[in-house]
Amino acid sequence: MPDDRLSPILRLERVSRKFGPIYALRGLSLTVCKGEFIALFGPNGAGKTTLLKTIARILPPTAGKLEFCKEPMGRSVGYVSHRSLLYADLTGLENLLFYGRLYDLPDPSTAARHMLRKLDLEKAQDQIVRTYSSGMRQRLALARALLHDPELLLLDEPYSGLDRHGSRVLLELLRDLKKEGKTVLLITHNLTEGLEVCSRVLILRDGELALNRPREEISAADFERTYFQSVDG
Amino acid sequence: MLRPLRIIFRIAEKDLRIEFRNRQAFLTVLFFAFLILVIFKFAFDPGEETVGGAISGILWVALLFPGVIQLNRSFQQEMEEGTLFGLLLAPVDRSWIFLGKFAANSVFLLAVDGLILLAFLALYNITARIELLWLAPLVALAGIAFCAVGTLFAAMVSTIRTRDVLLPILLFPILVPVILAAVNATREILEPVEAGFFANWVQLLAACCVIFTAGAFVAFEYVVGE
Repeated sequence: MPDDRLSPILRLERVSRKFGPIYALRGLSLTVCKGEFIALFGPNGAGKTTLLKTIARILPPTAGKLEFCKEPMGRSVGYVSHRSLLYADLTGLENLLFYGRLYDLPDPSTAARHMLRKLDLEKAQDQIVRTYSSGMRQRLALARALLHDPELLLLDEPYSGLDRHGSRVLLELLRDLKKEGKTVLLITHNLTEGLEVCSRVLILRDGELALNRPREEISAADFERTYFQSVDG
Repeated sequence: MLRPLRIIFRIAEKDLRIEFRNRQAFLTVLFFAFLILVIFKFAFDPGEETVGGAISGILWVALLFPGVIQLNRSFQQEMEEGTLFGLLLAPVDRSWIFLGKFAANSVFLLAVDGLILLAFLALYNITARIELLWLAPLVALAGIAFCAVGTLFAAMVSTIRTRDVLLPILLFPILVPVILAAVNATREILEPVEAGFFANWVQLLAACCVIFTAGAFVAFEYVVGE
């Protein structure tokens, strides 16, 4: 259960989402509190990405209620997926400037350059994104997602396509986000890395929460067994 | 500048900047249109009396059919790296996204159509006269109607594997009144008749332009919503 000392920023009450006759989410209830770092695990087809897209209001829920407790929606969510959400024929800086203007930032140029510096992409800022390595793209994707300083960051398998070096860099970034007190919901298949950074663990099975526990209650050594028990029901 | 106008401008500018940078659609569309004009030029003898009426049809095939390539590309590039998703995540009205994409497609198509029109006039030995200036508003009206419905349908089929085939099949039946009006109005410009219906064709074209743009504007939100 979430720590009561933390203020909730997002509530889902019995949220369901159907695609035709198939339920991707079934009556899912969840409260996300400020500063939490939640790792969401589950097999393919469990509804993880649908949950993130529902939270991002890309997919409206078929039933149930989704409530953001503070800011207007658009500014509150940053999203990183295994696709970069970047224009390959624009430069890194142009991409961030474009998104910065969409988010109506007061000074998109300063914000974009700050993020590029923070994610060590300053030297490549004028290169076309098509020429970036996958690690650089993933960092730029993270810069794009963090550009408007979102209340909640949704990360959908950000490790996919990254080599060991890229994964290490990303892990460092996630640790930094945790230190900064960002609220993060991370989908990953990497049990070890997901567990290392999170403060709460969720396991999704067939659109339902099979496990929802604080990190302290989970033993890292036994987590693989716990995961398979939850997934296999 | 008002925020919606600013966002629409940014989205259109981004699309045109990408196109200007790689010129993929520009060259393909232009080459395809030029090919159509040349093939029909060889297939028919423009001097023959019976062919005269068909020339305006040839022009509109060259103006509209290659445009499908650009419409498909405009959303294909948004799907490649999931950038449409990025646009939908931003705090912007979905209708602004439609207007931005629609504006970019229209500017692109009108620029290309201008070149196709010049090539048509040169290839088919059309004598220069003041009435030919009427072709400009015709091309603009038909182009806008084409881009409005085309942008909506391109968004609709963007997630489908067979989108390249599906888009023209969906698009052209809807555009029948636009093509009919454009072809007939063009015929009356190229071969003036005493008691023509030019004004009526232009009115039909203008009405289609308004109805299609308004319809596509309203429907876009539902298309991208699902």
